Amino acid sequence: MGLIRKLPVYLEKFPGGGLVTTSLDYVFSQSQASSLWYLLFGTACCAIELMATGASRYDFDRLGMIFRASPRQSDLIIAAGTITKKMAPRLRLLYDQMAEPRYVIAMGGCTVKGGPFYYDSYAVEKGINHIVPVDVYIPGCPPRPESLLEGCLTLQKKIKRLKIGDWS
Amino acid sequence: MNRDNLINYLLEKHPGKIELLDTGKVEPFFALDKEYLLEFCRSIKTDETLTIDFLCNIAAVDTGEKLEVVYSVASAKNRIRFDFKVVMPYEEAEVESVQTVWAGANWHEREIWELFGINVRNHDNLTRFLLPDDWNQGNPMRKNWDAPDFIRMPEL
Repeated sequence: MGLIRKLPVYLEKFPGGGLVTTSLDYVFSQSQASSLWYLLFGTACCAIELMATGASRYDFDRLGMIFRASPRQSDLIIAAGTITKKMAPRLRLLYDQMAEPRYVIAMGGCTVKGGPFYYDSYAVEKGINHIVPVDVYIPGCPPRPESLLEGCLTLQKKIKRLKIGDWS
Repeated sequence: MNRDNLINYLLEKHPGKIELLDTGKVEPFFALDKEYLLEFCRSIKTDETLTIDFLCNIAAVDTGEKLEVVYSVASAKNRIRFDFKVVMPYEEAEVESVQTVWAGANWHEREIWELFGINVRNHDNLTRFLLPDDWNQGNPMRKNWDAPDFIRMPEL
């Protein structure tokens, strides 16, 4: 990653370098956005909605999204389901084990702001933005697969705007 | 053994020690003293007529004035079910462990110890069960419990 991050800086100085970097930006961001491998991570009922989205009727695969069971091979973590205070360190651990660039989608009311457990609950974390940085929020309880696909498309738009230099 | 026989049998067997509560439910419901709890459990377990071999559940209740611990027991062999409870004030929140009678009580007792702060005497493993290991905010199932990030449902 270090080389790729430095490459545009040197390239820009060559004649025609700007064109190369913009093309590189396009190629990299396009390929990244259309191969978002997401981590298998579901803690509650939203996970069933996530499975339905991955199954044949809605088919995540047409976005190039394949589930991986290992954080080392995923770009995206879809936090599907309630995150309790006891689960929070585990979510953080999985997030920390993912390689950059990495993205987080907060799916469903529970992960956005505690959802139905906002009141009178001692156990539920009120929003996972306390634990990990979130890119896209999907409201709903549970969100329909269309909503989840919409959220993933939003994330893809976000990724396509990125430049190579933005990669941390 | 039908309901009335069971009630009569238990009341005769433990005279003055247990009282029948009128709940309107099918299963009889008894109240007894904290000190008599372990003895009562042992006797219903070893009694040939009852043979209460299964502890369904232990639940604690915070009524706002007192704490209660409710035991639901059953016998698979004789097809009997009944409940009994012990009532205690907040200052003496302590019960005797019944895991020597029914081993399954272990986890239930850990739960009531953790969520209600009811001390369980002679329990062999009182450790955190449901809450995070580093929990330090008291007993969340008590009525008067509060925490910085705990938001009560607004009165409508």
